Amino acid sequence: MATLQLPEPVRAHLRSVVRAGYPNETCGLLLGQAGPDWVRVHEALAAENLNRERPGDRYDLDPQAHLRAEERARALGLTVVGVWHSHPDHPARPSETDRNGAWEGWSYLILSVTAEGVPDLRSWRLRGEHFEEENLEP
Amino acid sequence: MTKVTVRIPMPLRIFTGGAAEVVGSGATVGEVLAALGQDHGGLLPRILTPEGQIRSFVNIYLGEENVRVLQGLDTTVPEGVVLSIIPAVAGGAKKEVKGPARERRLFDLRARIPELSPGDAHAMQQQGAALVDVREQDEIAQGSPAGAHRLGRGFLELRVEEAIPDLDRPVLVMCGGGTRSLFAAEDLLRLGYRDVRSVVGGFTRWKNEGLPFELPLLLDEQSRERYSRHLLMPEVGEAGQHRLMNSKVMLIGAGGLGSPAALYLAAAGIGTLGIVDHDVVDRSNLQRQVLHTDARVGTSKVDSARTTLLALNPALHIDGHALRLDSRNVEDLLRGYEVVVDGSDNFATRYLVNDACIKLGIPNVHGAVFRFEGQVSVFWPGYPKDAGPCYRCLYPEPPPPELAPSCAEAGVLGVLPGVIGLLQAVETVKLVLGIGEPLIGRMLYYDALAARFSELRLARDPECRYCGPGAHFPGYIDYEAFCAAESG
Repeated sequence: MATLQLPEPVRAHLRSVVRAGYPNETCGLLLGQAGPDWVRVHEALAAENLNRERPGDRYDLDPQAHLRAEERARALGLTVVGVWHSHPDHPARPSETDRNGAWEGWSYLILSVTAEGVPDLRSWRLRGEHFEEENLEP
Repeated sequence: MTKVTVRIPMPLRIFTGGAAEVVGSGATVGEVLAALGQDHGGLLPRILTPEGQIRSFVNIYLGEENVRVLQGLDTTVPEGVVLSIIPAVAGGAKKEVKGPARERRLFDLRARIPELSPGDAHAMQQQGAALVDVREQDEIAQGSPAGAHRLGRGFLELRVEEAIPDLDRPVLVMCGGGTRSLFAAEDLLRLGYRDVRSVVGGFTRWKNEGLPFELPLLLDEQSRERYSRHLLMPEVGEAGQHRLMNSKVMLIGAGGLGSPAALYLAAAGIGTLGIVDHDVVDRSNLQRQVLHTDARVGTSKVDSARTTLLALNPALHIDGHALRLDSRNVEDLLRGYEVVVDGSDNFATRYLVNDACIKLGIPNVHGAVFRFEGQVSVFWPGYPKDAGPCYRCLYPEPPPPELAPSCAEAGVLGVLPGVIGLLQAVETVKLVLGIGEPLIGRMLYYDALAARFSELRLARDPECRYCGPGAHFPGYIDYEAFCAAESG
């Protein structure tokens, strides 16, 4: 099982962003370093959810924001190592929609968010047709 | 040839040996990508469709501009520019949504599943098609087509084969309005039923068109919970549980055999338990008569049984008689009961019960224990399917007293009546439900020390004075007068 290191300050930042976005899905990219079976997140950048039809349960990450994230990562000597997004009032596990939109090689961090807070966050990695859960470490 | 830097996102770096940037060359974006594909096998199919278009989930940026808003793959590339491949990032929780998804699904189901009107469904049902009502219990309580299989939706796949074993029999599925039945019909098709149709308009239209329906008796919430393990079995189910709850079973004796039988019959939901026992609780009974307690020594067995059984199942009705069975009262006491469980320990009572059951046409579930051995049978000369013998066919008259000691004299292993009494209870429940093979014409014999069951075939005695063909009922006999060993 691969490991995703997500330091507490990054988590805290993500929690506040997804809560602010509730009840809509929020999304963004994870910048960090990656090894063969580990990923260390340095920053989590938010990006606009361009989905206007169903922002409550869909997200289309703004590609311009993605491009800027790639530039920022390069400038910092980092890589875009994954994607984060929230599941409002839904468990922190990938849906079929997530699977269809996923790329192998990235970590997919999902934060379950409700009106009360963020009850769960988990990270996943696509292997072939299926998501495998990653170990989350601080 | 123009040289450009191409930035590769992490998911595609497996094709570039891990490199974040590669150098490409070509006059247009398309040419650069084509050249890149030559050098890095596997990369191009991720970016372009087989027709050579940029895939919808990939964006290619020339500097800050998405090439889609330029000239696409034909966009010319200036020297030293940076091309960035940016995968589209999309997903979402995809919650259950009303509206479009459901409508698409129903559209698809309607295209595949034949529908028919309630009138046609009724006509087909008359000709042998199975009508399955998949509505919820509270809806069925408001009425359900006569003769429908009320299988519900939740357990449909698990229960339907018991109700409709023939996969070729046409199955008509009905719900409240004709929508849920489409989903259920699809499940049945998947199970292998070949002709499955959905009733348009469901029960609402069925009722409006004046087609026959009935108000099924339904269990309340508490009963549903209490008997849930029965309800899960199609052999019992709601109808069977109702049968049990409306049944009347007479127990002769609240002793060694009557105790376990009464406890389990009460638990199973038998509606009325008649109990006849003249005796009071004796401390020596407690080794096997589990209805009673130490504190109730000296009190009436009928009262003690009532206390225990009502604590177990307060819905039970108990018709208790603290008296001794005799030739004058036996017929009145047994009249109106569906099944009699004979747990008596003496021949006088056994013959009275046998004779009254024959006269009244009631099945007599017989049990007897002796030291380490026991026997069970069902005596029912009136069994409509296959008449069996009565007790007198086997033993026309009681044996002499010295050959037939009661428990008081011979002793009995305390657990043994538990086994035999429960076999009697099982046969009783089967008779009430009308399921399985009743123990008629057979005697099940249990040897506890050998731990062995054996079965004896019992034949009717055509000369039997009580149940033989054309026999004229000779009257009841009180053998007690000449049986020496009697004990409660």
